[in-house]
Amino acid sequence: MLIADVQGIVARCNDAAEALLPAATPGTPLADVVPDWLRDAHVGLNSSGARDAPEAGRAAAGDIDGRYFEAHPTVRDDGSVAWWLVDDTDHRLVREALRMERELSAFLAKASSVLLSSLNLERCMDVTAQMATESLADAALVIAPARGHRLPVVTCLRGGTPETATVTVNPDAVPGLGEALRGFPPVPSRWMDPGGAPAWMKPEGMGPIGSIVITPLPGHGVPAGALVLLRRAEAAAFSEEEEVFARLFAARAGAGMSAARLYAEQSSISELLMRELLPPALHQISGVDFAGGYRPSADHERIGGDFYDVHPATVEGDASLVLLGDVCGKGLEAAVLTGRIRNTLHALLPFADDHQRMLNLLNTSMLSSHHTRFATMVLASAVRRGSAVDLKLTSGGHPRPLIVRADGTVEEADTQGALIGVIPAIASTTITTSLAPGESCVLYTDGITEAKGGPMGGDLFGEERLKRALSGCAGMPAEGIVEHVQMLASQWLGDGSHDDMAVVVISAPRTHHLSAVNGHTRGRYTA
Amino acid sequence: MTTHPHHLQLTTVDEQSSVRIELHGDLDYDNADLLVQEATARLAARPALTDLHLRCAELGAVDSMGLCALLMIARRATEAGVRLHLDDRPARLERLLSLTGTLGHLTAPPPTRPPAPSATEESAGAARPPGPNSTT
Repeated sequence: MLIADVQGIVARCNDAAEALLPAATPGTPLADVVPDWLRDAHVGLNSSGARDAPEAGRAAAGDIDGRYFEAHPTVRDDGSVAWWLVDDTDHRLVREALRMERELSAFLAKASSVLLSSLNLERCMDVTAQMATESLADAALVIAPARGHRLPVVTCLRGGTPETATVTVNPDAVPGLGEALRGFPPVPSRWMDPGGAPAWMKPEGMGPIGSIVITPLPGHGVPAGALVLLRRAEAAAFSEEEEVFARLFAARAGAGMSAARLYAEQSSISELLMRELLPPALHQISGVDFAGGYRPSADHERIGGDFYDVHPATVEGDASLVLLGDVCGKGLEAAVLTGRIRNTLHALLPFADDHQRMLNLLNTSMLSSHHTRFATMVLASAVRRGSAVDLKLTSGGHPRPLIVRADGTVEEADTQGALIGVIPAIASTTITTSLAPGESCVLYTDGITEAKGGPMGGDLFGEERLKRALSGCAGMPAEGIVEHVQMLASQWLGDGSHDDMAVVVISAPRTHHLSAVNGHTRGRYTA
Repeated sequence: MTTHPHHLQLTTVDEQSSVRIELHGDLDYDNADLLVQEATARLAARPALTDLHLRCAELGAVDSMGLCALLMIARRATEAGVRLHLDDRPARLERLLSLTGTLGHLTAPPPTRPPAPSATEESAGAARPPGPNSTT
């Protein structure tokens, strides 16, 4: 406590005030011994007419000797003022720390939301570099793990736009960078001598560099890269708190980048598989028309479980084998199973004549104790005999093929069998029939008949509707039927989501010589 | 997006030597695991079980993953020496099972039970009052 009179002369000091302001002996002018802010407060108090104590919360405050004080005045009867000095340093430090923490968490929250909203690696690197320059450094470099000897680097100056480059350097030549990029063992941020930084680390227009910190970007078990923070020579070096903060930021950036990276890897795997699994373009083989159409599910898991293949006969005069099937489930698991089935069937082509045997062998090879994933499929052998096409059809738990006769009749091929891949011993029946010129056999997957939509939005397209549609397709070429069926199913769906849809049509081409022998042979059925 | 109105709901009823699971809603890609888990848990919890009934009267659409789930349950039941029953099958399920040739396989009696449970166990099971209905 310190008492000063109306003239601004120190009248009394208690011990604490003496210890704080040793020069404030009674009789000395206040202006000589106390900081300006306290003198001004004293003058202000004296000059204000009311001489009321200022409202609470508006107490004069300022530094004295490196510490922070609030000064609360009490006006005494003789006009002198007793100044009660309250040390507010700790309180203020805590408040300041709280404000900083809040800013930091807000920044980190923003970093997380921006980074995680993008699954694009390049964009993540850009955002990381840009955000780092916002509050951490004058310039930032984000370095992704090397591909070969090339390091993808994104550089950003404060207020600038991130720039991507690829540098061909050995990361181990820069102290700390190699370790940070390997990600294991985890290394702390490293100071680096700005003079020792290679030229590629110094952004253009940066000027002399004062300090550099290299922080690893930890990923999900894989290194996501490294963050290099640079400050100009005239800026303060990184404090310990800032370094901790940089690590926190790096953790978030690393998580975002590695998520993006894993996503990119996954989508490239999916794309690769897709390309491998895409059904082939079909055409006429040995006088039989084949046409196929495939519309994968629009789901994010783009690879579906439908597939078809046509294997031309190795010997002219033998039947070509068509297979169309559907693997249960979707996504990668279904894709892998689809690939296995197609490969296995390819290997079994020497037995193409004996559908039951093929299906049995395939079934045995697919049995697994881990799951009950299965496939349903139709095998069709087609061979031209004169102007007609002889067909052999076998279903393995699949919707029955439909045969479109020349007069518009639609027949269901009466073949039946168990699905493939779960039941140890399967049985199936094969039927044979013959297509006259202009007649077709339609193989399809249940994505067509189970397309949900229609006028009410919730009805299935269904087999009956498909049959009715096909009866109008009599005499149409194979491609035309495929397109027609696909169009109808799409119209039925509207904007609705759908499963994979595959259609294959086998047709006996119309011949120019309509008088061809046996041109209108109807199918012969054998069980 | 409309909310899915047909989420699978299961009601499990414990009976003397059998368990009945009533299925309400669709058995599809999103819900199939639920049924497998429930059935597997019941099979594991009741070693003396002889019959597992899936009541299908209220069953909606069944897709390939749903069929996959039924096949898995049939396999687990067979391993446990339990006979699976698909009761009150709606026409759509019937069609799917006949098309895929799976009905016989799904509901076949299990091959001779491995070391048949002793008579005491059976009678103990029979003497027990029907367990409280549990609902999931």
